[in-house]
Amino acid sequence: MNKKMLRAIIPISLVVALAVGVPLLSGCLPAPPPEAPPEAPPEAPPEAPPEAPPEAPPEAPKVVTAKIGFNAPLSGPVAGWGLPGLYGVEIWAEHFNAAGGITLTDGTQVLVEIVPYDNEYSAEKALAGARKLVLVDKVVMVQHMGGDEAMACTPFYTEQQMLSTTLVAGDITPETPYHLAPIEIWNFYGVTGFEWLAENRPELKTVALTAQTDVLGHQFMAAGEAAAKAAGIEVVYRKLYDAEAVDFTPVMSDLIAAGADCIAFYAYPGISTLMMVAAYDLGYEGLIHQITFDLLPDVIEKTSVEFMEGHISLYPDFDDPALNPSLNPYATIEPIDFWNEYNAKYPGTWTAVSWEYQAIMDVWKQGVILADSIEPMKVYEALKAAPTMYNTFGEGTWWGKPLWGMDNALVGKWPVVEVKDGKNGIVGWVSLLDWWERNGETMIAECEEYGVMWYQFMGLTREEAIVQYPEAFK
Amino acid sequence: MELALQAAVNGGLLGVFFALMAIGFTLIFGVMGVANLAHGELYMIGAYVVWLTYTQGIMPFPLAVIVGVAVVIGIGLAIERGLFRPMRGNPMMGLIASIGMIFILQVFVATTWHVGLMKHIPPYIRGSLEVFGASASLQRLMVIPVAASLLGGLWFFLRRVRQGRALRAVAQDPEVASLQGVSIDRTALIAMAIAAGLAGTAGGLMAPIMRVDPYMGHSAIITALMVTIVGGMGNIEGALLASFIYGFLISFVTTYVDGLMATIAGVLLMFVVLVVRPRGLLGRA
Repeated sequence: MNKKMLRAIIPISLVVALAVGVPLLSGCLPAPPPEAPPEAPPEAPPEAPPEAPPEAPPEAPKVVTAKIGFNAPLSGPVAGWGLPGLYGVEIWAEHFNAAGGITLTDGTQVLVEIVPYDNEYSAEKALAGARKLVLVDKVVMVQHMGGDEAMACTPFYTEQQMLSTTLVAGDITPETPYHLAPIEIWNFYGVTGFEWLAENRPELKTVALTAQTDVLGHQFMAAGEAAAKAAGIEVVYRKLYDAEAVDFTPVMSDLIAAGADCIAFYAYPGISTLMMVAAYDLGYEGLIHQITFDLLPDVIEKTSVEFMEGHISLYPDFDDPALNPSLNPYATIEPIDFWNEYNAKYPGTWTAVSWEYQAIMDVWKQGVILADSIEPMKVYEALKAAPTMYNTFGEGTWWGKPLWGMDNALVGKWPVVEVKDGKNGIVGWVSLLDWWERNGETMIAECEEYGVMWYQFMGLTREEAIVQYPEAFK
Repeated sequence: MELALQAAVNGGLLGVFFALMAIGFTLIFGVMGVANLAHGELYMIGAYVVWLTYTQGIMPFPLAVIVGVAVVIGIGLAIERGLFRPMRGNPMMGLIASIGMIFILQVFVATTWHVGLMKHIPPYIRGSLEVFGASASLQRLMVIPVAASLLGGLWFFLRRVRQGRALRAVAQDPEVASLQGVSIDRTALIAMAIAAGLAGTAGGLMAPIMRVDPYMGHSAIITALMVTIVGGMGNIEGALLASFIYGFLISFVTTYVDGLMATIAGVLLMFVVLVVRPRGLLGRA
């Protein structure tokens, strides 16, 4: 071996060692929270029991920590629908524990600990996370964002009889009995914007639709087509875009060139901002309807208050008077208090999901109280059997068989939000079940067209599904 | 017609961005014989420096970009001196080393400033300009004079300045250049500084209008690689031509078909060139 080779080998070895070691060590280290949340207030020590007679020493009250798994994207392009939710649910846990948690009838005090896992919106990583959370961390429930990452885990949760939740009701199938959608019922609620526009903006006759090329994008397109059809609005443009694009100006150029009265698009947080900026730069002056205006202050800073005026979305700010006081009697934190604390601790990070995962915890809380237990299946059965259920938007009903084969989504009313003077404000509500009564068949047809019905995810035709899962069609 | 014009404007602006990325990449390959896959991470660092300094109010945007360029040049010089120089003459080892640098830079940035939401960088100039029905944001248009100045200056340097001609000589034949008294080490450092500076400029200028996260260099380097192959490995004029070909291709295909087909079209173009004219459009045999 000559000197030249030796000179090459040493730096090569160093680089290889660094290249392998740095990511490996980073992976070995506990995943750092993106921003270290403030320490939870110290637990209130249980009151000392009164002195018992010397013959019978008193039993100390039992404290149980219910671990809640948080298996969602905390990094990558979809982090905006996971990380802000983690921030929110950790605020919830602090308040819940500070208030003493829940005391069961046997005197057991239940506190909560959130156990996060970054699945980077990867199905493989999500499943690895699911195994860790259930088998190692012994969680009693796992929260998911939903879509590909959750669908990879639901068979495991079913096998383990583990309660899990999702924001994407489209994950639910007859094979996922313990997978609930207690708050967001994507993609069904996506119809409410067009319903409101039909009533309040009758001059709108045409719409151009676009979304990214993944299952969430297809679900958006299905709901958008169904809603537009139901509202008597013609879809003049329908195209999916590549979320990995370097530049979204060509996407928006094409969308705007369709000449529709309204453009409706769906995008991950951040990418949504880039697309809004592109629309602004292209001089677009029509109406924009998005599912959510994530990071609205950033969008306004990059465009203008005037540009954003009057655009429609489906996600409110939590200081909205229509949400305060809370519509959920089980709410741990009043919405306006949550909004103020969240924005103080995590300024500039409010997205659609900032409040959703913590809202799911209030539904879980109902289940624990009703079940008088934290055991996953007892909570699940109590939730499903409850005569009345509440979430952030008020009373809801377990529903879902027509779209997802199982009544595992908590469905009620959903708000429509308008941007006024740079701020989101609720301008109306739509009853989803009323909409379904009138337009359910249209929704099913469009979902089938885009391949997002539950039986299509399972590789079945509707006829095959009727034979294999007759209960789902009753 | 209006849409076609808009697509052309979009394509031209995209071509300018690709040129800033690809020419630096081509320069390194031509002079040092190394495919520096960490070039995308230099672009990323440029964007992050702007985020750190401009967004936090520490300095105005133009100064933030200049600082970003300086930082990226420093990192580039360190990479050349510490990694590529000991492996000179061994392109495979240089490639492997550059892959290692990708991980190091990504993990450093991700660990220090966290992954999660994209970094928000407000635009330096708001508003847009409309010409014959086609619109472009002023923030994007600002890149044109800067890129034109830099690339024009690079052309002048390579053609008219002695050290630039030395750089071209090394790219053609390092051994003969060395026999003529050209310092290979110094030439490589200059090439790396120029390439890193171009990548840092691209990152800094485009930061307000692109996604800024630790992995933003990935798509940029893939395009730079394709542009370099199509233009001709180590050929700067070829890289410039191919940058605009790609810019227009991606813009028009995205607009008239869809984004996924645009990506496929870019790869297909590279494949066709490799089969029909492996040395690239302007590459020498």
